[in-house]
Amino acid sequence: MDTVLTMMLLFWAGLFAAYLLIQRGLWIFTDVAKSMSLFMLEKALGPGADLVEGRAGSGAKAWIIQGTIWLLAAATFTFEGLWLTHDPNALHSLSSWGYSPSAASLISAGEYTALYGSVSMFIIGAGLHIIPKLVGTKLASEKNGVLSSFLWTFSVLFLIIGAHAPIILTIPVLMIGTIVQILALTSVIVNQLLTISARTATIALPAWMLVFGLLGEPIAVTLSILTGAVTTGIGQWMTYHLIGGSFFFLGTSGIALYAASASTGNALWSKVLAGVTLVGGLMTINPLGATDGSMVTDMLGPLADSATIELGATDGVTVAFLMALSFLPMIAFAGNMMITMRGNDASVEGAGIVEMNLGTWLVIPITIGALFVQTDVVAGTGELAGLSNALSLMAVWLVLVPLTLGASLSLYPAITGRNLLSQNRARWGFWMLAGGALFGISITMIADFIDMALISATVEDPVSLVEELRKVGSVMFYGVVIGAVIHSLNMISGLFRGVLVETIAANSSSIKSDSYSLTSATSVRRILASGAGLDTEVVPVSQSDEKGNATKL
Amino acid sequence: MSNSGIDSTEKFLQGEQEPAASWVFLALGVVATFSFLVMFSLLYPGQELPVISSVLPIFSGIFDSGIWFFILGVMVGAFSIIGTLLLEATSE
Repeated sequence: MDTVLTMMLLFWAGLFAAYLLIQRGLWIFTDVAKSMSLFMLEKALGPGADLVEGRAGSGAKAWIIQGTIWLLAAATFTFEGLWLTHDPNALHSLSSWGYSPSAASLISAGEYTALYGSVSMFIIGAGLHIIPKLVGTKLASEKNGVLSSFLWTFSVLFLIIGAHAPIILTIPVLMIGTIVQILALTSVIVNQLLTISARTATIALPAWMLVFGLLGEPIAVTLSILTGAVTTGIGQWMTYHLIGGSFFFLGTSGIALYAASASTGNALWSKVLAGVTLVGGLMTINPLGATDGSMVTDMLGPLADSATIELGATDGVTVAFLMALSFLPMIAFAGNMMITMRGNDASVEGAGIVEMNLGTWLVIPITIGALFVQTDVVAGTGELAGLSNALSLMAVWLVLVPLTLGASLSLYPAITGRNLLSQNRARWGFWMLAGGALFGISITMIADFIDMALISATVEDPVSLVEELRKVGSVMFYGVVIGAVIHSLNMISGLFRGVLVETIAANSSSIKSDSYSLTSATSVRRILASGAGLDTEVVPVSQSDEKGNATKL
Repeated sequence: MSNSGIDSTEKFLQGEQEPAASWVFLALGVVATFSFLVMFSLLYPGQELPVISSVLPIFSGIFDSGIWFFILGVMVGAFSIIGTLLLEATSE
């Protein structure tokens, strides 16, 4: 059987087995496994477990704050990478310190940091808050939640070093980063499964998305190694996209759908669409991301050889079919998000919601673009390969980062117990981040288009316009760096000086007015000033305010 | 009554809140500094600034790309995050 079908079938079988185990447990071994797992999460760590207090919500908070700080590093690496595409010697003075980065290595470091430093940490961090809420219990081990976040951060450091120098003194640095990351991820999975095992409510769909997202990565990697697919080009490509479709897409969808409902107060619009997002995310091939499996090759080091993509007899048709089908979960997710955020009334604005809106609007056009580029590469034509880097950056900075950052920002008060320091700063952070990413990468893509046109016209002389465009694109992308700084400062200060959530709730409830009797013509401002809200019912009353008149009943 | 000569009622007071207008004095100071630097070049044309003119050539050939201005911004941002984290955690 061909590689693609074999991998997909085994992936589905692995997930189905995981589903059965979650629902039915391990027969008579369930209690033993639970107590042993809990022991491994806390007691087995010895004095390490006493380094943190383990207060409620501390696990989610640790992951989200570290994810925000990694956002600055990710934006900086990507900005430098974009700059070096038009000025390769800009950082040559650092070579005296033994650091000679290239545009490719910096963009690769930026991608690792954005995906594993920020997006993953937001997904896991928000998940540590969401799953216990949805299943009606507490997180099994807050202490382990905090400690595993530092282990994960450690792995991101290895990935950044490895992106610059994959092998140092014959040691595969990226492989070490992957091993550390798997350790941290395993503890997160065990923590979440133990939490689910103590559930008091049925598992809601966003929680299933998060669980399958977490399980998708280890299952895909294990299958890839066991079947030998990791040594072939198409196997590496498949592994990359299975992780993209499960961990990144389903993880992002899970936290975004939950946050869209929780932060606006609107019910999730459609359970069926959420179900289609979950099943479709697992059953199809997500086209977002790179056009090769080089990330898998790098991260699995000696286990995977660099290989070109060669398709078997039916592989091409299967890949094209499953990628086209991925539009179903994408559209289901985008539609559900938009209508849930809007609700029955006006759209709610606030920190995080605008970011989620941006990611929701852009997920469809970027997926269409990615589908064209992926199909072109898989078909062996390669005419659109020049656009793959810019599209990959768009998927990261205009879909994954806004959705996960937005969800984390909107859940921030519930997780930390305090509000962000300033809503105004959050708005500035959004505009800088969104504007920088949108304009910066779009202009870079225009330069890529011109380059492709020149190559097809066999023009050898470089055109100054392309250089200028790349320069403008990289400078515009600097807005993302500024946005990351603003968000980081706002979130960190909010932890200490943000208004307590209870204070706001108490204040708002004391002035809340369910109905307002309108006795004479007045302005909306006066109605709102008297304590009415958007949901207050305005009741016209036929009585006069004039002195001396009797009230008409 | 104490013989130490120090009034026991004497207290040093420092407010926790920063007055909103204090930045005006900082801006005034920066503007005055630049004005005097300009005045220096007018009063002593052709004469290089002491210390600064001998330090700057050290960096020629190192910061010779515009990217360094942006990296300087990143460093300011990174240090402000670290500074905020430390200050917020240690302030009362």
